This record gives sequence, C-alpha cells and structure tokens, in this order.
Amino acid sequence: MKILSVDWDKPNSWTLDTYKASGGYAALPKALQMKPQAIVDEVVKSNLRGRGGAGFPTGMKWNFVRKETSFPKYLVVNADEGEPGTFKDRECLLRSPHMFVEGLVIGCFAIDCHLTYVYCRGEFRDSAMARLQTAVDEAYANGYAGKNILGSGFDLEIRCVFGAGAYICGEETALLESLEGRKGYPRLKPPFPANAGGGLFKQPTAVNNVETLANLPVIINLGGDEYSKIGLVPKNGGTRLYAVSGHVKKPGVYEAPMGINFKNLLEQYAGGMREGSTLKAIIPGGSSSAIMTAEEAVWASDFDTLKAKKTMAGSGAVVYLDQTVNMAHALANVMRFYAHESCGQCTPCREGTAWLSRLCDKIVAGKGEKTDVDNIHQISRQMEQKTICALADGAAMPAKSYIEKFRVDFDALVRGLWKRFSFISSPSASSRRVRRSSCGAIPSTARCLWLAASSFSPASIFCSPRI
Amino acid sequence: MISLGTRAAPAASPFTPEQQKRFDDGFEKAVAKYPSERRRAALLPVLHLAQDELGWLPDTAMAYVGHRLDVPPVRVREVVTFYTMYHLRPVGRHHIGICNSISCWAMGAEKILDGCAQKLGIRPGQTTSDGHFSLEEVTCLASCGTAPAVLVNNFTFVESVTNDSMSKLIDELRGKPGQSMAPGAAPEKEHQP
Repeated sequence: MKILSVDWDKPNSWTLDTYKASGGYAALPKALQMKPQAIVDEVVKSNLRGRGGAGFPTGMKWNFVRKETSFPKYLVVNADEGEPGTFKDRECLLRSPHMFVEGLVIGCFAIDCHLTYVYCRGEFRDSAMARLQTAVDEAYANGYAGKNILGSGFDLEIRCVFGAGAYICGEETALLESLEGRKGYPRLKPPFPANAGGGLFKQPTAVNNVETLANLPVIINLGGDEYSKIGLVPKNGGTRLYAVSGHVKKPGVYEAPMGINFKNLLEQYAGGMREGSTLKAIIPGGSSSAIMTAEEAVWASDFDTLKAKKTMAGSGAVVYLDQTVNMAHALANVMRFYAHESCGQCTPCREGTAWLSRLCDKIVAGKGEKTDVDNIHQISRQMEQKTICALADGAAMPAKSYIEKFRVDFDALVRGLWKRFSFISSPSASSRRVRRSSCGAIPSTARCLWLAASSFSPASIFCSPRI
Repeated sequence: MISLGTRAAPAASPFTPEQQKRFDDGFEKAVAKYPSERRRAALLPVLHLAQDELGWLPDTAMAYVGHRLDVPPVRVREVVTFYTMYHLRPVGRHHIGICNSISCWAMGAEKILDGCAQKLGIRPGQTTSDGHFSLEEVTCLASCGTAPAVLVNNFTFVESVTNDSMSKLIDELRGKPGQSMAPGAAPEKEHQP
C-alpha cells in the first residue's frame, strides 16, 4: 500500500512536477476553503497518531493549541531524527519533500500559525535539509507558501533550521530549547509545549513529526473516516513508514498499513532474513523500545498493542537481528549510545546510563559476574519514571527486556561460554573485545546441548574456568 | 585563555577579511530566520558558520560569536560543549565519523572502524600526525537501511560502506586539500571519553 511513498521510486521524485503529476497540492486549496476547526476535526476522526515515537493523537494536540488564546502560535517540525534504527524522515525529506511541505501548510492553517520552524538534525544540512529548502523555495515561488497563499488571505513563513548533533534534541522540549539557541536540556512539564508558557518563545506550540505532517494531504483528500479505516487496528489510522534494517535481505523504508504484524512486514516487504540467518530478536520501534523474541513476531505493530505488551511502536524503526548476535553485545551497544547521549540534567539518567554501559561492557569483556546481570536489571528499574524526559526510560526499557527475554545470552558470557562458540556464531567484529579461548572446536550440537544445560549446571563441568 | 564571563563582552574577529565577508553574509541570513527580538536564538547556526570558516571553534571564535549575538561567553561555551558537531580543538582536514549504533553495528560497523583505524594508524578520537585525517565513532546517522554508514566532514553521507570502499575513499580524500584548520592547540593525543 503506497500513499506517502507513491512517488518514491520515480526519477526525480523530489521535484514539484513529479509531485503535482501524481495529484500533489490538490488538498491544499481544499483545506484552505475549510474552517480550521473542521480540519482539526477531520484529523481527530482520522485517528492519526504522532509518528515520532509517543503516538499522541495529532488532532488532540492541535485542539490543545487551538484552545489557547495567546498569540502568535507556532508549529515546530521535529526532523531531528536520531533514534538508532530510524531513517524514515530522512527518506521522506529526500524523496518527497513536497508532500511534507503541503502537509505543513495545512497543519499551520489548522492551528492558525503564521511562522513555522522545521528543525532538522545538523548532519542533514547538505542532504535532506538542502532538498527540503529547495522544495520550500519552489513552494514560495508557486504561491503555496508566503503571503496570501493561493488567494486565501492566509500567510505562512517556513523557516528551515538545523541543530548540531544531539540525540536529546529529538525530545520536543529539548528541541525547543535548542531552537531558542541554548543547549538541549528538556524542560520540566507542565506547562506543556501546547500551552502558553511552555512552547517556543513561551507561546503555544505544536511539535509534530515530519511523517505525521506528510499524512495531512492524504487525510484532506480521503476524509478522516476513510483514512482511519486504512489502519488495521482501531484508533491507529492510516499507513506507516516502517524503517526496516538489520539482517534482512532488503533493508529500507516500507509503507504498510498501521498495525501490520512483524512477521508479515519481514516476509512481504523486507524479503525475509538474509541467507543463512534465522530470526532471533526484533527491536520494534527504535533502540528505546523493549526487545521482542522471534516468537513474538506475530504481534501487531500499532501503538496500543505494543504498549499493552510492555514495549512500544516508537518511531517505526524495526531492526531484525539474527542468531549471530549475542543480545548482551547488542545491549552493550545500545547502552553505550544512551550513556553518550544522556544530556546530564537528571542524576538517575546521567549516572544510571553510565553504570549500565559500564556493566554491559564488563560482561561483554568476559569479566562479568552473575550479580552484574542482576544489577543491570535493578538499576534500570530504578531509573524509570524518575527523570524530566523519557531518555532514561528509553534506556531502562531495553536493559530490562534484553535480560528478561535473553538471559541465557548474558549467562553464556558470564560463564565464559559464548566466546568459546563464537566461531559458530561470530557476533561480527564485536568479538574483538572478547578474548577467544584456545579450545574451540566443539560441534554445534554440543553447543546447543550446552546452552540448554547451562542454566542448570555449574560452568566448571564442561569448561575451563572463566577467563 | 578561556573567557567565561556572564555578560556579553566585545571581542575581536578571528577571521581573515575574506572569511569575514562570508561569515557576515551567513550571519545576516541566520539572524533573519528568527523574530528580531529573538536574535540570540541564532547561536547554533552562527557557530556553524564560524566552524565552517575555521574548521573548529577556538576561544576567539566563541568570544566573537557571543559578541555579535550579545550572548554571554559562558552561554556560548555551554552550547559548544553540549553539541557533538562542534569541535573544541582542531580535527583532521578530513574528519571521518563512523556510525556504530545498533543497525550499523549489526552490519559490521566495528570491522569498518577497525579497518579505518588500522589504515590511518590512529584510534577513534585521534588525528593523524600530518593533520590530514581524524577518526571518530559517531552515533546513529539515520541511515540504517544502508548500514554501515559513514559521515565525512560532518555533512557528507557515505553509505553501505565496506572495508575496501573505505580504503578507496581514504585514498581519494588524501589527494584533496580538505578543510583548512585555524592554527591552535595541538590535537590531543588520546581521546578522553
């Protein structure tokens, strides 16, 4: 099903001509004839959920902003894509920037905003943002932006700005801080950005994701009810851009109805696992989400189902990992990311992420003890819900779930077993941190037997003491 | 000398006349993006402008940017040290950042990192002795579908790299002059995380 990505495979898909040839900028005049509140009502009916990660209903957010009586109001676009595994917004901006621009203009009209900022991550300056800027310039030249848009009397200035490399600036209040020229420390809420005093320059502000806004022309064209029916799960309307990566045959961004299950996504879109791979684990929504096992691939990928299963749909970044990966190695990698990207404002996060990272590294280096694994679990429990923003929860959720679902991998490392068998399932180069043991050639059946037995018997029966 | 005053103070320009002209052009454009009473908000883009000219952000550049935007030096420094794209000391004329977040890692980014480190004879975080290359391990570049991904000089994406393609890229870059660095403190020998 291709709605957002309909133009993506065409040559020069980013140009205005290509977009107009496939019916682009038809929704805008229609929207400008409507009452702004009617647009928001359509969006409420469409069950459009924020595609950035939290899945907050977009219509509800806009209603909050509309209720405020303080002017000016702002719409800020979050194009600070940085969650490991996520690359859909970049593709959106590179391949069909006009669809996003059209959605942006409609969104601004709906909340009565006359100055909007698109905050791209700094690394995009010469690629995605340059292409967006070209599209914005074209939109100005053709009367889709600027003064008196299409003769409706609605004025809108679109300003593209860029950051300087900080994952935390993807958090909406940190993004606003950064946009105001400060370091990206998330703000204490309330007041929320949608309320006066909490948004950009203390004005009511809607912060929306690139993909969310790209859906707006579709909603106006189809109508809210029709759009909502595309989703496979109630309260989760439309299609979603799934960014599929990892050990699959054809990684890439695939548009599928919201709520497709992970098995179908893998088999119908990404071509299955690569040669010689069997699925071991799935990261369902960017590295902050709790991990899923291969058996759980039948879960639907919408916001509500995954929330009920104690993980999250997040940014729609699905990473499929195969049997070569030791999940403790993967967790060490993820934790190193959070330790690096924690902004340092709240102690549980600043200290907690660093502790988690150190403990994981210790386990991966083969120096871990059983208590270290328990400590990771305990520390992550203490980090949850104790900080200003959700970065700490984003680190705690994987830490807890990797251990709960793949404890055997951690134990294998703690007992000095994984490296012994790493010739069978070498976790790519990460084994460089692990000293290989001299006795290696044990057949793979023995390995399976051993891993099965390892949870019951002391390590010393089969192997030399831990290195 | 690090000036950490809490009030904006006048400072001399660190640029040559040619650089100054480019900086001033960019400065006007950057400031024009914000409401006139909010010109301080342009701090990030203006720091980028200064770094584009000098290759890194020496204290003199930070002081000058603060002066132009009426931002106290301590606030400028706070911002520069917070964001990873600003360099606090000179880096190589070609700065290579290799992504090692989960998707790139799963596709073998550590091998690429090791390969580059070996070819250049430096470790991540270091600069080659001729000042031509510096190597860094960076976090997710939003290019996970074409992993492993590499970012050259902060803004250029190189995707689906292999050890061979990286080796070729490095040889190619060696022949190019790259970004010239403002004179300053010697690059640090060891990366201190």
